[in-house]
Parts: sequence; structure tokens; C-alpha cells
Amino acid sequence: MENTGFSLLTLVLFLPLVGFTILLFIREQQESAIKWTAFGTSLVTFVASLLLWIGFNNQEAGLQFVQRGEWLPSYGISYYVGIDGLSLLMVILTTFIMPIAILSSFNSHIFHERGRVKLYYLFMLLLEWAMIGVFVAQDLVIFYIFWEVTLVPMYFLIGIWGAERRIYAAIKFFLYTMAGSILMLLAILYVGIQAGTFAVPEIIAGIQNGTISFAFDGLFSTQSFLFLGFFIAFAIKVPIWPLHSWLPDAHVQAPTAGSVILAGVLLKMGTYGLVRFCLPLYPEASVAWAPVIAVLAVIGIIYGAWVSYAQTDVKKLVAYSSVSHLGFVVLGIFALNAQGIEGGILQMVNHGISTGGLFLLVGMLYERRHTKDIAAYGGIWKALPLFGAISLVVTLSSMGLPGLNGFIGEFTILLGAFGSDVLGFFYAMFATIGVILAAVYMLYMFQKVYLGELDKEENKNLPPLMWNEIAVLIPILIAIFLIGLQPAPFFNTMNASVGELVAHVGQFVTTVAQAVP
Amino acid sequence: MFEAPSFSSLNLDVALPGIFLAGWATLLLIVDLFIPKERRRLTVWLALAGIAVTFVLNLVMYNRHEEAFKGMFIADPFSGFLNIVILLTAIMGILLSVDYLRRTGIERGEFYSLILFTTVGMIFMAGANDLISVFVALELLSIPLYVLSAFRAPDLKSEESGLKYFIMGAFASAFFVFGAAMVYGATGTTNLPEIFSALGGLGQPGGPSVFLMILGAGLIIVGLGFKVAAVPFHMWTPDVYEGAPTPVTAFMSVGAKAGGFAALLRILIVGLPILTVNEQAAAAWQTTLWLIAAATLILGNIVAISQSNVKRMLAYSSIAHAGYILMAVAAAGTPGIGDQAAQAALVYLLSYMFTNMGAFAIALSIEKDDGSGTGIDDFKGLGKSRPLMAAMMSVFMLSLTGIPLTAGFMGKWLVFQAAIQANLIPLAIIGVLTSVVSAFYYARIIINMYFGEGEGDSAEGATSYVRWTVYVAFAGTVLLGVAPMLVTTLTDRVSLAVSMLP
Amino acid sequence: MVQTDAYIVLSLVLFVLGTLGVLLRRNAILVFMSVELMLNATNLALAAFARHWGQESGHLFVFFIITVAAAEVAVGLALIVAIFRSKRSINIDELHQMEG
Repeated sequence: MENTGFSLLTLVLFLPLVGFTILLFIREQQESAIKWTAFGTSLVTFVASLLLWIGFNNQEAGLQFVQRGEWLPSYGISYYVGIDGLSLLMVILTTFIMPIAILSSFNSHIFHERGRVKLYYLFMLLLEWAMIGVFVAQDLVIFYIFWEVTLVPMYFLIGIWGAERRIYAAIKFFLYTMAGSILMLLAILYVGIQAGTFAVPEIIAGIQNGTISFAFDGLFSTQSFLFLGFFIAFAIKVPIWPLHSWLPDAHVQAPTAGSVILAGVLLKMGTYGLVRFCLPLYPEASVAWAPVIAVLAVIGIIYGAWVSYAQTDVKKLVAYSSVSHLGFVVLGIFALNAQGIEGGILQMVNHGISTGGLFLLVGMLYERRHTKDIAAYGGIWKALPLFGAISLVVTLSSMGLPGLNGFIGEFTILLGAFGSDVLGFFYAMFATIGVILAAVYMLYMFQKVYLGELDKEENKNLPPLMWNEIAVLIPILIAIFLIGLQPAPFFNTMNASVGELVAHVGQFVTTVAQAVP
Repeated sequence: MFEAPSFSSLNLDVALPGIFLAGWATLLLIVDLFIPKERRRLTVWLALAGIAVTFVLNLVMYNRHEEAFKGMFIADPFSGFLNIVILLTAIMGILLSVDYLRRTGIERGEFYSLILFTTVGMIFMAGANDLISVFVALELLSIPLYVLSAFRAPDLKSEESGLKYFIMGAFASAFFVFGAAMVYGATGTTNLPEIFSALGGLGQPGGPSVFLMILGAGLIIVGLGFKVAAVPFHMWTPDVYEGAPTPVTAFMSVGAKAGGFAALLRILIVGLPILTVNEQAAAAWQTTLWLIAAATLILGNIVAISQSNVKRMLAYSSIAHAGYILMAVAAAGTPGIGDQAAQAALVYLLSYMFTNMGAFAIALSIEKDDGSGTGIDDFKGLGKSRPLMAAMMSVFMLSLTGIPLTAGFMGKWLVFQAAIQANLIPLAIIGVLTSVVSAFYYARIIINMYFGEGEGDSAEGATSYVRWTVYVAFAGTVLLGVAPMLVTTLTDRVSLAVSMLP
Repeated sequence: MVQTDAYIVLSLVLFVLGTLGVLLRRNAILVFMSVELMLNATNLALAAFARHWGQESGHLFVFFIITVAAAEVAVGLALIVAIFRSKRSINIDELHQMEG
């Protein structure tokens, strides 16, 4: 179903850029026009992406809404976009998070301190465009372009509107992630030259019918190096322990909306890349390296949870909890079976919603008290009951309470790891420890901040939630309950695509068992 | 024995763009004497008009593939494309100079003639097909640049810059020309394609002497290595770049590089692919270039970090970028990759031209009349005082880093592709890792402009000529990043490689 | 008749002497003269090779080198004079306005 004409997907991809262009022509002083244009653009993009979901055929495993046009024909690079179940969910997550992030920053203190409202929303829309691009690109070069472009707006968002140590955090974020992805550039070039094309579906088809193969004879062979080239880039983005050190800095220093996008979408680009590129392009290497990576994932789960518990800075606590949660996602992916991968994908969505929500809540606290120190709070529930109740739901969701979204994802992942041919009981067992620890640090945080006596004078007269703050929390709550109670539509969306992927990778499990004893 | 060639057999029309510009430059030198001081702008417009005509002539002739002066000069898409780069550089260089010369009090008419003469040298460099014509073009390129570097005399920095450039340049030329003599001694010819055919008998009795060939080729690389600022022949670059008047620095950082690489690529691909003759020679040859490229990348990028003057920083950055182009040169050594590598180098030069001219234009805008104000710290707060300028400077910095959707990315992409295709994977790895290092110092300018405190310079040097140069550079940088096919349709026609030896 | 090899050895020796002169001498004029020595070593080699191959393009090259060298002298001496006027010295070790 090659289609060179116009596709709805291209519309979704370029809508943010349309908004970006409109924004360029609005004068700096017209702040509310700027804000509403940005918000309107992201909302329209969200609606358009829902149309994609409506038009999406669950039964089909391959790409849909495909559009392909020439970009640099003499070098075999084409503008090639399309989505399958996995991409679709990620696109919707992006378009869902973006209006929330934009709306949440409408009255933020950062504009009083730093100004430059227009620049801020320009970067927001640029970021949305690049993130959607990452999830829909089916040509390795186009993918890489979008992947790198996401760095730039985030770098500026952290650097201009961040907290005190923003310069350090921004440059660390930029260099760390660039260092990771630049090796992927070489791997992409190598793959493209070997395969004669940069189009991912064509390369996968070539691997299946044997016309393309990357030599594999153990943990250190051509295919493994290519695999690692991609893997390191993704692992830094996820981040997988021990490559996570940029994350706490970036999260803590970024403005609230930046943290929400980082946690909600940017980190998912890493896990998405693992599923979309690492597994199908290098199935043998993936199988061979799966146990190693799963060990790192499990370490990350426990380490993240442990360090979270030790934090005194509430934003840092949430940041480290990301390391732990994404460890689950990676574990699920490298279980290499349908349950694990589907659980992993759902958990990506869940983490985006719950942790994004947590960052929003922390941001709202910060707007009122201008501190992120846990000790400065206490008894907030009594001061702001509605806020406290919402926070409880989001915290429980992040913890994985049954009935809410987090539970479904983590449970499926654990089942997947348990039943996996390459992993097994011990991985699942240690990961379960992480679930328990999550309950510990989350409840610890909740208790310190929201419960107890309202004993601090500054906390007694906090302003109530503003309209835009309520407006961004409602969709988060809806999503939390929706996925928690009705996960079936989400699983249905990705079933066919994941099934095909697992079948593709599964062929190689026995081959690898012979090559790597 | 010697037969005077008939005039018509010289095929002068093939070299028309260069000849026209040479004539125009000479005329301008005379005409300028009769232009009163208060109407100096006329000289500028005349110089620009000459370049514009040359540009059109060059475009008309783009697809030709013909020789002139009995094979000493060749017009082909390779030289055609380089001429585009060179002429655009000259236009931008002149536009940057107009107000700069006036406000720094060095407005003299010869300036524009000198720019035109060195441009002619670059054009002949791009089309030189014989070691003699390479040498003459090289000197025509260099000598006016020595004068231009010292144009701010009696400013000591500028004089020093000119003298240093002159001594190093003359030294390098001597190496080049001695190397050329050795190659002539080995093969009995200075014509590049004929050298190539003579190499068939390399090392056999009666054939060219291996010793002379290796000595000659090595010295040629040293000589041209100086010109393109390759490590270890780079030490003049920072001082010369810092001391020369900023528009001259901008102009020569791109123009001299384009000329040097033109000769290097043509000599290595057309004349001396020793590589195809003998496997061991091939390996040694490529390894040498490989080492030079790697050293250039590493040194340029690492030393740039510690610079506090933006002109020096861009000087080291230009060394680093020479390293990326040298990656393509090294890749050209692998049989069958020559054309692709040459195309990659060309796209890289074009992208570097737009980006670097833009970056220098903005550095020049915040420079004070006495030549101060070129510190990295002088960029502080520019995001507030001149938002548009700062935004464009950011794009130039991102392009120099090689971030996608800018010209710099396309250049790097093609160069890395050539390197991987030539199986120079370790070199490619060094290349990408040093790009990350480079992000550090380019990002520092962005940090100063946006993230820190500071009032911001009013950038009074950004007169309308300078602003238009920045806009053009910006448009080129973005366009080449978003729609590279516009350029690759031109470079796809470039073909240098001579058919392999039997 | 003297063998071509002998000329080449002589020219190599001259070239190396010139190179050393450039690297070791500190006086700009002497440095400049060393460069000229290198160029003349080249001329000698070219003339010898031209005789060896029995054709004229080597001689042609020599003429070009002589001409270009003259142009270089003009510019080079002018620069040296200019710098002598401002500094009263042409020692190249004293050229250190820029550090980095």
C-alpha cells in the first residue's frame, strides 16, 4: 500500500509546524494570542491523531497511512512515513501530552522571570513536530534527523527557562544524548550501505527472505556492533542504568512543561527505538544480548527505586522513579515475547501519563511555594483537598495499584519476563522487588508532602488550583482510569504488529542458542 | 621540437569565467584610480558586477567537460561547482567588507581588486589539470591574500598576520613545487592524466621511480596541507585568522580552503591514485591521509574548546572542518569511491561556506571599530539585544556542529557515508566523536547568547550589507539542510575518476 | 657528462638546507632567503629532469617559478618593511601579538 499522495499522517506530522509558522508572525507582545495559538495547534493535532486511531485497522500488522516521496534519491533516502500499532500509540501519547504541557505553562512563573513567551512556544511546537516525526519515520535517515532535532528545542527549554543550574543541565543533556546518538549515525550508514536502502520495512523484508544479513557469530560480531550502535543511543535516551546520569539533572532543572515532555515522550523515544529498530533489524544480536540488557534493566528498576527513596528533593524523587519504571519497560521488551513487549508498550504510555502527571503536580506545588524540598511541605491535603485527592490517584497509578493503569502494564511485563524463553523466573522475581519498593518510596513521598499536620505557616494559605491547572489534570485522571479499567482497546491496537515482530524475532532464538552457548 | 600552438587550439572559451574575471580585476584596478574617494561605493558595485557576470558564465558552462591550454586547464562539473562556492564566497566577502573597511578606516580601492585576483586564483585552482597550472593558480590565490591579511596596517596584529601567512605560505609553496618537480622527474610530465597513465609502469624497469613518486606525492600533500590547514601544518591558522581583518578571515577561511581542496582532490583522484597500482602502496598512502585527517579532527576540535576569542575559535573550527573534508579525501583513495568522495567534499564545502560566512558575519557585527569585541563573552545577552541575529547565529552554530536540518548535517552525512563506504570505519568513529566535542564549544556561544545574564551588544556593525549577507547565509544553511536535493543534482554530475588501469 | 642523479642529489641537499634555514633562522629576511633557496633547488631539479626527459615542459615550469618568485619577493619585502616600520625589528620570535 505505497501511497505517494497526501496522507492523514503527514497532516498530523506537519500540523505543529503550521502552528510554528503562524506563531512566527505573531508579535512578541501579544502573549495571549501566542499561548492560545500554540495550545490550539496542539489540540488540533491531538484531534487529528484521534482520527488516525479511528481509521486504523487493528487486524493489519503492517504499516498504515503510508506515504513515501523522494527526498535525496541519489543517496537512497526517502521521506517515508507510516504507522503500525506501536507507532500509533506513541503518536497519540505525544499529541495527548503536548496540549497538557502547553496549557500547564500558561501562567507559569518562568515567564515572569525570564520572559520570551514566543520563543518558548515556538520551541514547544518544534519539539512536538520532531517527536511525532521520530515515531512515524520509516526511513532510517529521516528517523535520525527527527531524533537529533528533538535535542535542540529541549536544550533551549532547559537552558533558558530552567532552574538555577540550568546551563550545566542543558549542556549535559545535549552532549550526553548527542554522544549516544552519533554512533547510531554510523550504524545507520553502515546498514544503509550494506542493504542498499534506508527504508526500514524493506530492510526487514530483506532480512526475512535472506537477501540482507548482517554477519552474526557471537556477542561481538558485525551485527552485534550495529546493534550496540543503536542500543547505546536508545539506552541513553531511556535511560538504562548505568547511562542515566543526565536524567536527574535535566528533569530537575527543566521547567515543568519540559519535565512533563521529557518524562512523557522523550524517554519513550528510546524504548520505542528498541522495539522499532533494534529487535527487527538485529534479531540475532537482540536475542544474544537480551539477558545482559535485562540484567541492566533489573538493576535499574531496583537502583531507581532505592535512590528515589533517598531523595529530599521531590522533583528528583520523581525523576529517579522514571529510571525504575523504564527498567520495567526495557525488561518487558527484551523478554522477546508478545506479553512482555505489549506490556512494555502499554507501560510506556502509562509512564508518560502517570509520571507526566506527577511532574505537573510537583510543578504546581513549586508555583505556590517555590521550593522542591520535601521537608518544606506536609499536610498539603488539608490546605488543598482537591489537589491532594488528585495527587493520590496519580501517585497510586505510578505505584501500580490494581484498577489503575500502572498495574496493567507492570503485571503484563512480569508475566512476559516470567514466561520468556530468553529470560525467566529470576528476572521476574527481582523485578517484583522493584514493584514493592515503588510502593515504599511513593507512599513515603505522599505521606511527607500531603499527609500529617499542616504545621508550616507558609503552607496554610496556598492559592487554590487555577482553571488551567484543573483542565490539565482532568485528562490525566481520565486516562489513568480508562487504561486501568479498559485496557483492551490499547492491546488490540498493537496486537497484530507485536505478533508479527515476535514471530520475526522468534525465528532466531534457536539459531542464536547454537552460536552463543 | 617546440611547436607554438595556434591561438584557436588553446580553447580559451573553456576558461572564460576565469579569464573574464582576471581581465575585470585588472580593469578595476585602473578604473579605481579615477573614482573619487567619496564615491568609493562604485568600486564595490563594479567588483560585484564582475563576479555576477562570472557566476552566470559559470552556470551556463556548468555541464561542459572540455580542456583548454593544451590540457593544462579543464572545465567540468567539479570545477563548475567549486566556482559556485568560490564566487558566492567572494560576493559575501565583499558585502561584509564594504562598511567594515569604512568604519575601521582602511577603505582603499585595491582591496576589491585584490579580492577579485585571489578569486581568479581559486577559479583556476578548481580547473587546474596540470601541476604547473596548479602552482600558478596557487600563487595567484595566495599572494593577494598575504596582502589582504595585512591590510589593516599599521595595526601590528594585522601586519603580523600578513607576515606569518606569507612566510608559511611561501614555505608551503616551496614544498609543493619541489614535490611537483619530483613527480615530473619520475614521469616526465606535469599533466595530471598523463601522470596517471605513466604510473602504469611504476617501479618496473624503465618506469617511474618509486622513490621520486613517493617523495613527490608526499611533498605535494605537505604543500597543500598547509593551504587547507591540516594538522601538523596548521600552526599559522589561528594567528593569521585572528590578526587579519574579519571580512578577509571569513573570505579566506572558505575560499582558500576550497582552492586547496580542489587541487588536493583533483591531484589525488586524477593524477596520483597510486593506490590502484600496488596494494601495499595503496594502504600506506591511504593510511597517511587517514592519520592526517584524524590528527586534524582531534587537534582542531580539542584546542578550539579553550579559545576565548571567537575568531581564534573559528580558526580552530576551520582546522577541524578541514579534517572532515580530509576524511573524504582519504576515502577517495579507495578504488571506486573517488567520485562519491569528491561529491561529498563539494557538498561539505558549500555547506561550510554558508555556515561559516554567516558566523563570521555575526562576529563582525559585534566587533568594535578598533578590532576589539571579538571575545566569546562579547556574545553574552545577544539573544535579548538582537534576537534575530542571535537566532541565526544559533542556527550557524548548530550547523557547524552538524545537527540535522542544517547544511552542516548534510555535509557530514555525505562525508561519513564516503568514509564508511571506503571501509575507514575507525576514522568515521573519530569523526563522529570529535563532532560531539565540537558541540561543546559551539554550544558555548549559544549559552552566552541565551542562557546567561548580560545586557547584550547592540551589534552596530550589522549594517544592511552585513544583514543581507547573514540572511543569505542563513537561507543557504537551512535550505541545504532541508532540501539537499537542490545541490546534489549539481554534484551528481561530478566525475573525476579516470578509468582504472588495466 | 654529469648524470641526472647528481643534479638531483645536489638539489635535494639545497632543498633541505633551505628547509632548515626556514625552521632555524629568526630573521625574517633570512627566512625569506631560505625559501628562495628551496625554490631554486626546485629549479635546478626541474632543469635536470627536463634534460633527462629531453623535453621542454620542465623548462617552462622553471620560468613560471622564477616569475612567481619575483612576485612573492615584491609582496614579502613590502610586508617585512611595513613590519619593520612599526616594530623596528624583523625577528620573527618577537611576533607574538596574539597568543592562544
